[in-house]
Amino acid sequence: MKTLFRCLLLMLVIQTSVAEEVLDGDAVLNRPAERSYDIILESGYLKVGVYKDFPPYSYLVDGEPSGVDVELGKRIAAAMGVEFKVHWIVPDENLGDDLRNNVWKGHYLAKRRLADVMMRVPYDKQYAYMQDSTGEYMNEQVVLFGPYQQETWQIAFDPGQMNSVETIAMFQYHPIGVEIDTLPDFYLSSGMNGRLRNQVRHYTNVQEAFDAMREGEVSAVMGMRAEIDHELAKPENSRFVVAHNGFPGISKQVWDVGMAIKHTHRQLGYALEEIVGKLVRSGEVDALFSDLSLRYSVPQYYREFLSDEAIARAEGEL
Amino acid sequence: MRLNRFRIRIAVSTLALAVSCGAQAVTDEDILNDANTPEDIVTYGMGTQGQRFSTLEHLNVDNIRYLQPAWAFSFGSEKMRGQESQPMVKDGVMYVSASYSRVYAIDARTGEEIWQYDARLPDGIMPCCDVVNRGVALYGDKVYFGTLDARLVALNKDTGKPEWIKKVADYQSGYAITAAPIIIKGKVITGVAGGEFGVVGKVEAYDAETGDLAWTRPTVEGHMGYVYKDGKAVENGISGGKAGQTWPGDMWKTGGAAPWLGGTYDPETDLLYFGTSNPSPWNSHLRPGDNLFSSSRLALDPDDGSIKWYFQTTPHDGWDYDGVNELISFNYEENGKTVMAAATADRNGFFYVLNRENGDFIRGFPFVDKITWATGLDPETGRPIYAEDGRPGDPSDTDGTKGKAVVVQPAFLGGKNWMPMAYSPKTGLFYVPSNEWSMDIWNEPVSYKRGGAFLGAGFTIRPANDDYIGVLRAMDPKTGEEVWRHENTAPLWGGVMTTAGDLVFTGTPEGYLKAFDARTGEELYRFNTGSGVVGTPVTWQMDGEQYVSVSSGWGGAVPLWGGEVAKVVKHFNQGGMVWTFKLPKDRVASQ
Repeated sequence: MKTLFRCLLLMLVIQTSVAEEVLDGDAVLNRPAERSYDIILESGYLKVGVYKDFPPYSYLVDGEPSGVDVELGKRIAAAMGVEFKVHWIVPDENLGDDLRNNVWKGHYLAKRRLADVMMRVPYDKQYAYMQDSTGEYMNEQVVLFGPYQQETWQIAFDPGQMNSVETIAMFQYHPIGVEIDTLPDFYLSSGMNGRLRNQVRHYTNVQEAFDAMREGEVSAVMGMRAEIDHELAKPENSRFVVAHNGFPGISKQVWDVGMAIKHTHRQLGYALEEIVGKLVRSGEVDALFSDLSLRYSVPQYYREFLSDEAIARAEGEL
Repeated sequence: MRLNRFRIRIAVSTLALAVSCGAQAVTDEDILNDANTPEDIVTYGMGTQGQRFSTLEHLNVDNIRYLQPAWAFSFGSEKMRGQESQPMVKDGVMYVSASYSRVYAIDARTGEEIWQYDARLPDGIMPCCDVVNRGVALYGDKVYFGTLDARLVALNKDTGKPEWIKKVADYQSGYAITAAPIIIKGKVITGVAGGEFGVVGKVEAYDAETGDLAWTRPTVEGHMGYVYKDGKAVENGISGGKAGQTWPGDMWKTGGAAPWLGGTYDPETDLLYFGTSNPSPWNSHLRPGDNLFSSSRLALDPDDGSIKWYFQTTPHDGWDYDGVNELISFNYEENGKTVMAAATADRNGFFYVLNRENGDFIRGFPFVDKITWATGLDPETGRPIYAEDGRPGDPSDTDGTKGKAVVVQPAFLGGKNWMPMAYSPKTGLFYVPSNEWSMDIWNEPVSYKRGGAFLGAGFTIRPANDDYIGVLRAMDPKTGEEVWRHENTAPLWGGVMTTAGDLVFTGTPEGYLKAFDARTGEELYRFNTGSGVVGTPVTWQMDGEQYVSVSSGWGGAVPLWGGEVAKVVKHFNQGGMVWTFKLPKDRVASQ
C-alpha cells in the first residue's frame, strides 16, 4: 500500500513537472522549434515566458507557477483553446539580452529553449526602434505589442520610524532599502548630488528589503508599485504604508508593459493582441491585479483612444 | 560467477599497474621546478612565476621552418567555441580542458584519447562571459579544474573519475570559474569570476587530497577572511582592516573585484599574486572613493590567505578596466644589484614594474599607442593622472536623450586582456599580446531591465586603425621601449610563449599558430589550425624531440561584443581542437 502510494505520488510529481516546461526543440540540429500560430494551435499548448522568482508577477507558490503574468498567460492560453506551459526566464543584464535568450535566438547554453511569447516586456516605441552606432535597428528580431499594464515607482515606509515621506530628501537622514542594480538603486545613490548615497541599503530583491524594514535596518523601501503592493498585502508588513512623494529627475516615471514575440510570428501576435485587448478593456486584467491586492493602471496606449468611461471600466471603477 | 569477478579484478589491477607504471605523482617540487624541467608541463604558466619561458633550444630560429604537425585531437560534440586552455603534459599524457567545463587526457605521442570528463552544468546557468576554461592543475594522482557553475573538481588522473567536487560559490548568484587553479604546498588555490552585481570576489584554498576548505580571502575591503582548522572557521582579519574606508554606504557589501583569472606564485618571496576585476556597480559616479581592492594586484600568503601588499592599477575605475591580468615575477640587474621585480600589462594600457617583495611601484609606461583616460602615471606612486573629461558620464543624468559620447582608449576589453604574456630571461623582454581599440560610451536614452525602467550606458568598440587591431609587442621592462612589434588584422586573444631557442609563439583569430624571432620580431613560421587560436601554446620534450601544442577554437569575449570590431571577426569559424607539432629528430642541428 505504501509503495502504491509512493508510486502515485511520484506520478503526480511527474505530472506537474510535465505541466511546466516543455522541450520541443530540435535535438539533432540543436535549435528551437519554429512555432508559428498554426503550429501552436496544433500542438495544443502555448509556452509563456515569465521571469523566474519575481513576485508578484511570476513566481512559484507551493510549486505552482503563480503571479499576475502567469495568470494572464493562463487566460491567454485558455482564450486560444490551448494549454498553458510556463517558460521561466532567468534575467540577464538588460531587456535586449532577455529577448535574445528567450524570444528570437536562444541562449548559447540552451539553444533549443524559446518561449512562444514573453510577458512583462516594456511597450515603448522609442525602445522598439532604437538604432545602434551603425544605424541598424537593435530590436528588429522581435515585435513588442499588446500592452496590458502601466507600471510605476513606489516607496513604502515604516511610520514607526518616519512620520511621512514628503520628498526623497528625507533619505538623507533615513536608511532606505533597494534592490541592487535597479533604477531605484541608481536613482537614490546618485540623486541630489549623492547626498542620499550613504543611506541606501542594497538587497537581492524587494522582499529582502522588507525583511530588513521589519528588523528596523531601513525606514523605507523603493521598488516597482506592484512589488511594493504585494509586500504591503502580507500580514507581517501590515504596519507599513505607501508614500505619496514624487520622484524628481527620473525620466521614466511610468511605462507600459506588454509582450514580445519573434518578428516572423506576427500572426500569433495579432491573435494575442486581440485576446489581451479584450481582457484589458473588460476589466478582467484589473480584476487579476485586485485579486492579488495590487493596484492597476491601464497602459498609456489605451488612454490615447479609449473614452474616460471605457478607461474607468478597464480600471474596475464601473 | 566468482571466477568472473576474480578475472575482472586481475584485469583491472593489471591495467592500473600498466597506467601507473612510469607515471609519477606530481609533487610540490615538480611544481616549483616546472620552469626548469622541459620534459613536463605541470603548471599553468610553464612555471609558477608565469614567465612562459622554456629552456628548450632544439627548436630555434634556424630550424623552426621544419616544425610539423604530429597529431590533432578534436574535443568533439557541438561545443565548438572558445578554446582558451593551456595544455599540461606529464609522463607522456596531455591534460587539457575545453570550453563548457570539459577535460581530456590524451596520449601525448599519438593523440589518442585516454579519458574525457564532462562537467554536468545545471539548466538555466547564465555565465557572463562565454563558456571558456583556461586549464587544469596537476598534483599527486589528481587533475583539478574549475567549472562554469563555480565548482572545483578533482579527477583521478588515470581514469578521469571525480574524486571530489566542491562548490566554491553559488552560480545562481552569478559566480563561475574559468581560470586554471594553482597548487602550492598541497593546496588548490582558486579565485572566482562574477558577472552580476552583488558578488564579492574571493580567493580560496582547498586541501588537494580531501577538498576541505583551508582558507578564504575576500578581495573587497571590509569582509572577514577565515582559516579553517578541523572544519571550524577561525577569523583571520578583515580585508583592508575595516569597511567603509574607500566605499560609500553599504556598497562594499557588493563590491565586485572578482579575481577571475587565477594567480601566479613566487617561491622566492613565498607570495601568491592575484589580480582583481573592476568594482560594482559599473557606474563610477555612484561610488566615489578608491573602491579597494578592485582593479588591483594582491600579494597573498599561501598559508592563510592574508593580504601582504596590494597595488591598485585603476583606482575608482569608471572604464571597466579589470585588474586581473597576470603578474609575472622576474629578476633583473641594475647598478650591480638584483632587483626582485614583477610585471603586468594592464587593461588600462599601462605596463607596470613593481617590487614584488612589497608592491612598491618601480616604473610604469604605456604599452599601447594611445591612452586617453589618463595623461600618465605619478612617478612616485604609479597612480594614474586622470584626464579631464576622460570619465564616462553618470547615466542618472540622462534627460531622455542620448547624451554626449565619451571616447575612451583603450576600450574596456583592454590594451591587453586575459591572454598571458611571456618573459624571456635570455632577451630580457616581455612579449605582450595587445590590441589597439577605443570605445564610445554614452548614456542610453531608454533602457529596461527585468520589466522595469533602467539607466544604462551604451557603448561600442572601434578599431583604432583601419588595417589592424592586434599588436604583438616586445617590451623592455627597464626602459619602456617597444623593441619590436607585429601587427595583426584581428584582435589578439591567445597567450604567448617564448623559448631559449629565441622563439616567441602565439596564435591569431585567423587560425594561425605563429612563431617569431624573439630578438627582431621577424615572423618565421605559421600554420593554420582551421579555427581561431585563442589558447596558449606550450612546448616540451619527449623521446628526445621538442613538441609544441596549442588549442584551437575561435570564441571568448571578442565575438560577444559587436560594434565595428564585429566586421573583422564575424566570418571566423568556431572550432575545438588541440594541435601538436614536433621538430623531427633529424632536423635538430648539432645533436
